[in-house]
Amino acid sequence: MYAQAFFVAVFGLAAIGFGVVVFRTSSMVRSALALLFSQTAVGCMFLAMQTEFLGVLQIMMMATEMSIMAIFMVMFMMDPGGMGGMDMTHQKRFSIGAGVVAAGVAIVVAFWADWGPVTAEAPDAAMQTRALGMELLGRSMLIFETAGITILTAMIAATAVAIPVQTTANSADKEDTE
Amino acid sequence: MNFVIVLVALLGSVWLLAVVEGWTTTGRLRPAAPLLSGLAHLGRESIVPRTPDRVFFETAPVLLLIVAVLGAAVLPLAPTLVIADLATGALFINAALAYVLVALIMAGWGPNGAYAMIGGWRFLGQLIAYAMLIVMPITAVAMRAESLVTTVIVGSQGGLWNIVYQPLGFVLFFIAAMALAFRAPFDLPTAPGELGGGVDAEYTGVRLGVLRLARLTLVITLASATTVFYLGGWHGPLLPPWAWSLIKTLAVAVSMLLAGRYLPRIREADLMRWCWTLGIPLALLNIIVVGLLVLVVP
Amino acid sequence: MISDPTMTITGARQRQGGFTVLQKWVSRALAGNLSCLIVPGPEVALSHGLDVTAAGMRITATPRDASVLLIIGELSEKMSEAVAVLYAQMPRPRAIVILGGQPPSTLPDADFSAGVSQAGLIDAVDWLKRALAKGAFSDSPEDFDAAVLHARIDYVCPMHPEVVQNEPGSCPKCGMDLVAREAGEPAPEHDHDHGHDHREHRHHEHEHQHHDHAQQHEHHEQERHHGHCHEHHDSHEHDHEQHEGHQHSHENHHDHGHKHQHDESDGDAEEKGSGHDHGGHDHGASGFMSMIEVTKDLPRSADGLAMDWMEVPFGPVFPGLPGGLKLTLTLDGDGVTEGQATSLVGMINESEKGKEIDAETFIERLASAMPLASVSYRLLACLAIERAAGLENDSATDQARAVALECERIASHLGWLAQTGRQLGFAWLTDRAATLQLEIRRASGKRLLELTPALQALAARLGRTPLLKSRLKGIGILPSGTGGLSGPVARAADDAGDAWARLWQRLDEIITSLDYIKATGEPGLPVLRNIGRGSGTGEATVETPRGEAQLSLILEHGQVKSYRLDTACSHHIGLVAKLVEGRELGDALVAVGSLDLSPWEVIS
Repeated sequence: MYAQAFFVAVFGLAAIGFGVVVFRTSSMVRSALALLFSQTAVGCMFLAMQTEFLGVLQIMMMATEMSIMAIFMVMFMMDPGGMGGMDMTHQKRFSIGAGVVAAGVAIVVAFWADWGPVTAEAPDAAMQTRALGMELLGRSMLIFETAGITILTAMIAATAVAIPVQTTANSADKEDTE
Repeated sequence: MNFVIVLVALLGSVWLLAVVEGWTTTGRLRPAAPLLSGLAHLGRESIVPRTPDRVFFETAPVLLLIVAVLGAAVLPLAPTLVIADLATGALFINAALAYVLVALIMAGWGPNGAYAMIGGWRFLGQLIAYAMLIVMPITAVAMRAESLVTTVIVGSQGGLWNIVYQPLGFVLFFIAAMALAFRAPFDLPTAPGELGGGVDAEYTGVRLGVLRLARLTLVITLASATTVFYLGGWHGPLLPPWAWSLIKTLAVAVSMLLAGRYLPRIREADLMRWCWTLGIPLALLNIIVVGLLVLVVP
Repeated sequence: MISDPTMTITGARQRQGGFTVLQKWVSRALAGNLSCLIVPGPEVALSHGLDVTAAGMRITATPRDASVLLIIGELSEKMSEAVAVLYAQMPRPRAIVILGGQPPSTLPDADFSAGVSQAGLIDAVDWLKRALAKGAFSDSPEDFDAAVLHARIDYVCPMHPEVVQNEPGSCPKCGMDLVAREAGEPAPEHDHDHGHDHREHRHHEHEHQHHDHAQQHEHHEQERHHGHCHEHHDSHEHDHEQHEGHQHSHENHHDHGHKHQHDESDGDAEEKGSGHDHGGHDHGASGFMSMIEVTKDLPRSADGLAMDWMEVPFGPVFPGLPGGLKLTLTLDGDGVTEGQATSLVGMINESEKGKEIDAETFIERLASAMPLASVSYRLLACLAIERAAGLENDSATDQARAVALECERIASHLGWLAQTGRQLGFAWLTDRAATLQLEIRRASGKRLLELTPALQALAARLGRTPLLKSRLKGIGILPSGTGGLSGPVARAADDAGDAWARLWQRLDEIITSLDYIKATGEPGLPVLRNIGRGSGTGEATVETPRGEAQLSLILEHGQVKSYRLDTACSHHIGLVAKLVEGRELGDALVAVGSLDLSPWEVIS
């Protein structure tokens, strides 16, 4: 129990720490990878909280997603290495305000919400995985499938919009693979 | 205890693989060569290139090694000989190996050199090609075993190995595993002839030693995964279970090594096109066929 | 940090005297693991008949992985500079071995020199092994430093790129402090080998010093990621224009731009939030960076994406290209937007004015200047001189010479195959072709014919190799109506004119040459017949392995007064720009490789 709390705390702090690094560095690649490791730490928190499937899934998905984000940063940012000394921050007053409000709301919800009775013992990981599968392919199937198809449609639409009109066969290939 | 045994087995396999690699390239069988080569790396100067991203440069080789070992942690050598018999083992290995990409991006970005950087980002493109062909065949394997637990997956192959049950999945997984391990002919991120070593290009001394060790470990881990998922893991007559696991793993690893020697490097565009237009439909077909088999055959 | 303890074991400086046990083992391991970087390139070693692997050294692709710098033959001045950079990139302990040449002035003295021969190479390896086992750990290692490794530092105004000074100061136009920058930026300045940017810094110092160095650089505000150079030149100018635009309309905003871009410590910036300059961003808008806005004026590449470009040098010692050839590619991601090739070792036409060269010396000199086709050029020189002297053709000699030429054609094509294998990461092909090339060099006429099945098997094997066709087919197609071609490149142009056709053309030529040798007889190395003290003008043409070479010269009393040489490669090198444009990097390199350029045969 105490060990569990300890690991949750450690990974939680790591997640926050990496989250801070995201904004403290002016290198876009570092920023993207710090975000990745912050999310990985969140995945580890899931693991520490005995939700194995979700934790592993989180750890797996973030690696690719954040790497793809990093390459887009490198492609389009002026100074992706952060060595040009360019100031990357903007809208400071607004973002500070938004941050404080969001943190406040999160804390309020955390303390005021009714979290229900504490489960004495979590079911073992295999049971959880099974239950999750049953849920995903049972009652919630329609929701998840709708969400999946919507995201896919959005991706295809975005790609189609991004392709310039006078496209060549070559560029169509390239867009498809991204 | 298991941890130590598996680690020793892993290192031993790496050593054997390195010996075989030396044999194929130089034609001489020298068992001490990998050890000497490792020692020689200690003796060489470890240069840091100018204006590096130091954190990435230092982390990348170590991260690659850790990732390869973590991947091996869920793969059983024998029914009880596994470091972590996770309920989500088959998913966990994917999660661990996803960080190969992260390590390579770091190794590419860190040294502040054009060749390395192109190599690192190239691997991202390569991932987009191979990733589905790792995950979808594993899905079919898990379908047959009705479990993500690696020991259960091996157990499910007691009567018939998956290489016979789902040969299509095996072929796809084997190719994708080679692409993941960035061995020739899929060595686009290192590509000596195109990028002068790519992500390896700026590493020297101990760091290069760690990087090479990590690459070989990765090959062993993937070979071991192939064994567990398709070659019936520890199943086999006469010899003890762990011996069968090791023999199969080494055979797969060596065949990965040899395939690269007799093939030219694949074109990036071809890899992408074949994986998506041919590989993924075949992987889907594999899932459907296995699904039907699971439902129809008792 | 892993490296710190090892630094004390290895190296660079040894703290305690004496040899520890670990050091002894490490030394022995180092001696057993010799890896060498061959300058100008492995293909030159092969054409000299050197088998580096058999001598006990591993051939490496990069200087980072090499412990021995193996220099074969004389180096041109430009090559010497490139080699100094390579040497500086090699980790210590490192050694220089020179076979058959003078040590370049840019390098420290050679550790071992010998003639160009396998025996010399084996001696060198023995010596290196002994020396390393004994003295890998020097008490006082010397730092290598050379003029080429130093960069000139310019001071530029961040706002006015035209303001460049030698010393720090302030800008005469806007009064801002000037910022240090390496000369040659932003078009990246590595005119040296690997894009490993190491000029200014002596990188064999301790790591802490490196670190300091990096820190120091981070404070230079205009110091871009050098090797990467994500900032394309155009984007700089783009910024600049924007600012000038603002200068006229909003004076204040101009100031914001300065502060934002160049003063990191400017903490309270809220009212300037919109002012920072991300390309074409509109001041006063919400402050978000729009990728469309940022990239709208950048040049587009073939795939329609606007990205920053970087100029990357490939060569002159690059594993995928013949040594001495330098390819400069402007890369846009993995795609090549433009490129050009130059030779750093090419011969210069026209000897020194008024200087006469003895005919024999001339032949030797020409033959040694073309290491990849020395027999062909020896033959060319012999023919031209003999014609100038007015000698009649002698059919027996001609036949033997023709056979020698065909032998060299086979060897040269095999050398190209080995090089292609290196480029494509096709280890089997490299090994096989190199072995056959070495055998052919040593073979007599009869032995040559015994090798016929092996050569035929090689061709058949390549026909069956998966992935090879998809790798080469359609790559490096010559633009229609290209003139000035000769050799295999021209002969393959009728077919499909791509790299695949060139491969098969060369493989066919190997078999054709074998048939010719079978029908004709023994090879005879071209030797100048007695020309006495003849005079006259002579012209000769020889179909070298890479195409037609033409030599015209004036002979006076047995001395070559002046000459003019024209080779196929001099024309072919001009094709590179068209072949690489718009291709992916790998394809571009394959296209260049398929031309079989010999940088030595590029006459300037």
